[in-house]
This record gives sequence, structure tokens and C-alpha cells, in this order.
Amino acid sequence: MSATAAPAWRELDIDKLFLGFCLFVPLTALTIFFAYPLLTVVTRSLTEADGGIGIGNYIRILNAPSFWRATVNSLVMSLSTTAAVLMCGLVVAYAVHRCKVPGRALLLGAVSLPLLAPSLVQGLGLIFLLGRNGIVTKTTGLDINIYGFWGLLIANGLYALPQAVLIIGAALRAADARIYEAAEILGTSGFRKFVDITLPNIKFGLLSAGFIVFTVTITDFGNAATIGGDYAILATEIYNQVVGQMNFNLGAVVGILLLLPTILSFYLERVASQRQFGSVSDSAVPLVPTFTPKRDVPMTLAAWLVALLPVVTVAIVIYGSFVWLWPYRFDLTLKHYAVKVAGGYDPLWTTVQISIVAGVIGSLMLFALGFSLQRLPRHIVKPIYFLCLLPAAVPGLVLGLAYIFAFNVPGLPVYALYGTATLLAICNVTHYWTQGFLTTMTGLRQVPPTLEESAACLGASLPRLVRDVIVPSMAPTLVSVFFFMFMRSMVTLSAVIFLITASVSVASVSIMRLDEAGFTSQAAAYATCTMGIVVVASVLMRACLWALKRKQ
Amino acid sequence: MKVWNALALSLLLSGAAHAGTVTAYTALEEDEIADYTAAAKKALPDIDLKVLRLSTGELGARILAEASNPQHDVIWGWAVTNTMDPRILSLLEPYKAKGAEKLAAPYHAADDKWFAATGYMAAFCVNNERVKAKGLPVPKDWEDLLDPKFKGEVVMPNPVSSGTGYLQIVGILQQMGEEKGWKFLKDLDANVAQYIKSGSRPCKAARAGEFAVGTSLAFAAVQSVTEGFPVTMVIPAKGAGYELEASALMKSAKNKADAQRFLDWTLSPEAASIYGKYKEIVTTAGYKPSADSIKAGLPADVTKALLPIDFAKSAKERDAILERWQKEIGR
Repeated sequence: MSATAAPAWRELDIDKLFLGFCLFVPLTALTIFFAYPLLTVVTRSLTEADGGIGIGNYIRILNAPSFWRATVNSLVMSLSTTAAVLMCGLVVAYAVHRCKVPGRALLLGAVSLPLLAPSLVQGLGLIFLLGRNGIVTKTTGLDINIYGFWGLLIANGLYALPQAVLIIGAALRAADARIYEAAEILGTSGFRKFVDITLPNIKFGLLSAGFIVFTVTITDFGNAATIGGDYAILATEIYNQVVGQMNFNLGAVVGILLLLPTILSFYLERVASQRQFGSVSDSAVPLVPTFTPKRDVPMTLAAWLVALLPVVTVAIVIYGSFVWLWPYRFDLTLKHYAVKVAGGYDPLWTTVQISIVAGVIGSLMLFALGFSLQRLPRHIVKPIYFLCLLPAAVPGLVLGLAYIFAFNVPGLPVYALYGTATLLAICNVTHYWTQGFLTTMTGLRQVPPTLEESAACLGASLPRLVRDVIVPSMAPTLVSVFFFMFMRSMVTLSAVIFLITASVSVASVSIMRLDEAGFTSQAAAYATCTMGIVVVASVLMRACLWALKRKQ
Repeated sequence: MKVWNALALSLLLSGAAHAGTVTAYTALEEDEIADYTAAAKKALPDIDLKVLRLSTGELGARILAEASNPQHDVIWGWAVTNTMDPRILSLLEPYKAKGAEKLAAPYHAADDKWFAATGYMAAFCVNNERVKAKGLPVPKDWEDLLDPKFKGEVVMPNPVSSGTGYLQIVGILQQMGEEKGWKFLKDLDANVAQYIKSGSRPCKAARAGEFAVGTSLAFAAVQSVTEGFPVTMVIPAKGAGYELEASALMKSAKNKADAQRFLDWTLSPEAASIYGKYKEIVTTAGYKPSADSIKAGLPADVTKALLPIDFAKSAKERDAILERWQKEIGR
């Protein structure tokens, strides 16, 4: 960077320009690809059957007893899932980042499995295990009824857990060993250290994780359809209206009402995080956990216990894909891998491309936005922050259809994207924006502000600061955001199903089509291939990153 | 700017229809689409046939969402109850396909906006092993499912989310009459373990041994039997509800001549000869049911197994029926 040699006034301009660019690009993208489509949903929700504008749809929905039943169910489900997942997520993240447990990467990989598993896998796996004719049910002779509240709680929990671990992990990653040492000298017990130092430090991460778990649970439809039985929730209400009865406008009402809990939790979170404990200082000494049997043995057991369920769930589906006819004939076969219908394996390659693009766009945009938000006054940050929390609250089904309303408009410049793979990638970035955003923000909070200040005092321009100070300390978070976007894009279904065309399709749609056509084992085989590709691609990309780091 | 314009233009061009391209939106089943498309491409080599397959409900959401600028030229094989929605009909252009004149009256619209070459019907998937283990009789008709022994062993599709679920209850209501029909549905509810979101899922749940009986589609039952599952297909003895698969020309079709030629082909004897491989209901003359479906227990003359369904009535009453179902039965 030659800019460092330039006079101070030019430096300032470059800094401002850079900051403006970092803010402008993601914000414009978010406006075009999220706020605008969301606005079409609002419009639809206010469009009545006769074409007039009014609140008739809202009155109709609010007067339906089924809506209130679903609301209560949804709230109960989401709150229980949040409580359970935060507890398990904290156990896993704490074990990985603050304890000396064997096989940390393996443990993280194990709980992350549901992120890279197509939704079919989770439902199928749980039914194979715990269904009325499932393996556990048959071998133990227990009368388990998984369809309904408990099945849904487990499935939602499995799906939300890695997202919680991602965010809590970003908060736990940074710690100042000196504080813990001081506490040690003062004779503080391990438990008190956890309650008085660790918890206040990761409060922001915990709140963000809780918010994400609550929101993804309340908007998820896939699990409810496979394993939810008759447990009606708001997401199924939307499905009933939109897909069952071709009534998008009424579905849109429920979609808009689903934003309310998000608005509420946004407010609660802001109130709570105003009393945030001081973040990590520049002279922090990284905390390297030493082996403490009293803490680490139970933590290892607890963390692996949590990780066991996702592993078994995925493993049994993979096994099922090699079995002749589940659950009647257990001879092994490869025949289910010869997929001839539903577009064969071609969509899988399209999906890999889409997912890499989504990962790159997503992590760069989020980093740029997070970076610029940290340097802006609070009153500007607040509304942007709020906008960034909303995408998680929009069910995929609503987002996908909103994209049709918003972009299938000849004459708009963005119409050029309609029906392309690019729009699928963009849709995925939008769909998972909030999770990436919160992870990035949590990570950025852990970059010592004084370190930046001293770099600035030494005359480093902002671009240089990013390169030399922030990116290095943010690298693990950036990478995890990239992989999160990549993995979800590989398997997400709910939004993209409305954006595929006769020529551009993705793997998750092929899996669903195989399953719908009754070829359950082929669907499982296709899902296994998809997961295999995600794993191989992740390992390759991690190897590249590692090589790059070594070269530096 | 120039670069962007060029890029946008190239994207537009690649997205636009070439002469000879026909885009069809369909809810037909996966393997049959592959077979039909291959045959259609052979018969109409100059047409580049592009097919998007979605389930009935999702296709409806998609077509309506795209209504201001439809991306397809024809609807090919989509539930007639959905096609008769006024919002869909307003998108269609009347076209009398070659061969449509030979179809019986219920199988095409009076104003030629749609015709149906094929259809599907309701059937039970009964899991032989579970029935044996639980000491249950094999049901022959809907009434048999009222037996208290079936408590918690019957799964049905939810009519609110599934077209199959709707056709099943319409069949019951139109066969038994309003009053008796609703009473029957309420009595049956006592035995129903759950109302599943899609029409083929009850059969999948039954074939996996999760439940003894899944009320589903004959297609799903035949497919399960062929795959080797211990499943018996039962077609309700007094008649089964059914649905027609309608095809139609879009007003907005960019390439009407070719779209019409494709629609003509779907009624051709050649197409009919393949329908028999997959379909229980074929409205055109000259087809034979497949060996698989006969083996699975489909009667040779399916028309006798069908209830006389009034589709116009079932489309018109849909909202009212579903509202009542949700109020009195829905969970």
C-alpha cells in the first residue's frame, strides 16, 4: 500500500472512502435483495381478495382459531428449543474453546453435521432411530411416539445447535488469561470464575445465539412437516395457506406477524447488551487451557453426549442409503446411487458453484459491513443492525416467493438475474445473513480496540489496518462464516425451491423430488453424496487456507 | 457501464426463449416425466422441451407468484381442482387440442381452457407386517377404518396442505352426502394418528412400518409394492376419490405454435401408449394398465372403481370445506 506514504489529508480521504465503500456495498445489496422483496410481502399481506388495499387479511387470520393455536405452539416450541440449545451449545463451545478435551475439531465437526445435512436426512434419521418402527424403539421395546412436540424439539434442536455453537464459540474464542490468573491467585473457585468472568464476557454471544435459535426454530417448516405430526406451528400455517390453498396473501400475513417476536427480541437484546462487560484488551494474554481433570473429564463426556445424536442420525441415513430395502432387507447394495431421474447428479455441481459464490459474497459483505458499523455513530448503526436481524425471521418459503414478486419484473435491471444461478446464490446469502452477521459482529467485538488505536496512531490507513490487524485476528471467524454460508447453500431448500428453473436446479431439490417420487433410498443416497461433497470441499478449502497461512 | 449493459444483455439473452423452446410446468411424477419427455423429443425433434417439476401445491404458488410475467408456455399435468381456480383460468388461453374432441365431457373444459389426459386416484397403503403383528383385518373400504382396533394406526394427508387429502375428503363427502360424510370424517378422526402434510407421505409412513394404514394415492401404493415393500394396495370398494391432471396453454406463451404442437402430442395415441405404464387413470382411448399396477392389484377397468366426482363443485366449495374441516376436525 503506497497510501501510507501520502500526506495526512489524503489519508483521511482514503479512510473515509474506504469506510463509505465498506458500508455502501453491503447496505445497497441488503436493500435490493432483502428490504425490497420484504416490502412486496408487506404489500401482498395488505392486498385483499378483491384487489383493494386494507387490513382484511390480518383480521381474517387473527380471527382464525387455528392461528392462535399455532402461535401458542410455536412460542412454546421455540422457547423450549432455545433453552435446551443454549445449554447444550454452551457445553460444547465451552468444551472446545476453554477446556482441554480430546478431538476438538472432531467434536465441532460432529455437532456441525446438521448444517451440512439436507433436511430430509434429519427427519429420516430420527424416524429410522426413534420412529414407531425405528431401531431404538424395536430393540428396547419402548413405546416411543416421536411425532409431535418431542420429535420436533429434537429435530429443531439438532438444526439450531451448530448455529448456537458458532456464535458462542466466536465469543469464547478470545479471553484474557491474566484475568483468570488474577482470579486464581485470589483463590476464586472454577465455578465462580465461570459465573463472574466468563458469562459476563460472552453475554453478547449468548444473547445473539439465543436470538438465532429462537428465530430459526419459529420459522422452520421442514422438520415440522416430517416429524411434527399434528403439532401445528406458524410455519405450517404459512405452508397451508400458500402451498395448500394457493393463498399467498394470507400466508404473507403470518409471515409478517412472524417478524414481531424478532422485533421484540431485538429490543430485549439491546436493553440487555447495554450493560456489556468490557471486551478484551490489547495486552490480553491468550488463554491456553491446561488439563484439569475435575473440569475436563465431565466436560468431554457431556460434549460428546450432545454430539452423539447428530452423528448417529446422519450415520443411520448414510447406512440406510446402502441397504437394499429399509427396514426390511438389510443386504448392502450400491443400487440406490444410480440416480437417473430428477436431473441426475448434474444439479450437484451447480450447487457447489452456487455455494462457493454464496460463501465468498456472504463473508466479504458481512465483514465489510461489520467493520464499518464499528466505526459509525450509534444512531446510524441501530437501524442497520435491526435490518440485519430480520432475514432470519423470514421463512424460506416466504423469501423465495418474495424474490419472484420482486425480481420477475421485466424492465427492472435486476430482472436480468431472474432465473439464474446467481440469484440463487444471492438468495442464500440473504437467507442466512443474520447468522453470519451475528457471528461476524461477535467476532469483531473480540478484536482489541486499543490494538486498532495504536495502529492508527502509527499512521496506518484503514485499508492497511484491515489487512494487518483486523483480518488476522478475525480470520477464524471469517472462515467460519464462509463455511456456514457454503454448507447451508449446499443443502437449503425452502427458498430456492421457488427460484429453480427448468434448466437451473440444485441438489436439495433433486433430493426432495426423489423423496416425493417415493425413492426414499435414492434420496438418501443423493443426500449422502451431497454431504460427502461438502466434507471434501471443506477439507480442500481448509487445506488451501492452511497452505496460504504458512506461505505468509 | 458498458460492461454491465453487455453483461445484463447476455444474461437476458440466455434467459429468453429461443424459437422452438417450450417450457412446461408440471406436477407429474418424476419417472414418468423422464419417459414422456424422451418420447416427445423424438416425436417433435425441432422443439426444445424444458420441464420444471414441482409438487402440486408448490407449483400453484409458483404459477400465481409469476402471474404478472409467466415464465412457462404450458401447464402439463396439474391437478384440475387447482387449474379451475379463477386466478389460474384467467392466465389460460382456450385451445382445442387435436384429440380433445374425443375426450368424454368431464375430461375437458367446456371453454377449452384445459383438458386432462390422465389422473390419479386415492388408495390405501396397508402394511402387511404391521397388520399381522397387531392382529388387524385388512380394510376393504373407508368404513372398515372405523374399527376401534385401528386406533392410532391410520395416517391421512392433511386436506389443508395436501391436494390428495382434499380429494379424499371430497370423495367421502360426495359419496356419502354432506351430513353422513362429515359425521364419518369425525368418527374416523378418533382412529387417525396424524394428518400428514403431503399426499404420498402417509403411504411412506405405512410402508416403513410406522403405521398400519396410510390413506394415500394408488400411484404411491403401486410404487411401494414394486420397490418391494410389504404393502398391499387397497382401493376403497365403493369407489375412490380421484383427481384429473389438466394441461393448458398459457395466454402469455412466447411460442404458441410449438406449445400447441406439444399439447397435441400429449393426447396422441403414442403418448397414451406410455401413460399406461404409470397411470391408473387415462382418459384417452387405447391404453393398457402396466403389468406392475395389475400385479399391485389395480382393476383392469379403473373407471368402474372411481366415484362420480363433481370437480366444479369440489373446486367451488374448497374454502368452505377446508374451513369446516379445520374447525371441527383439524388439530
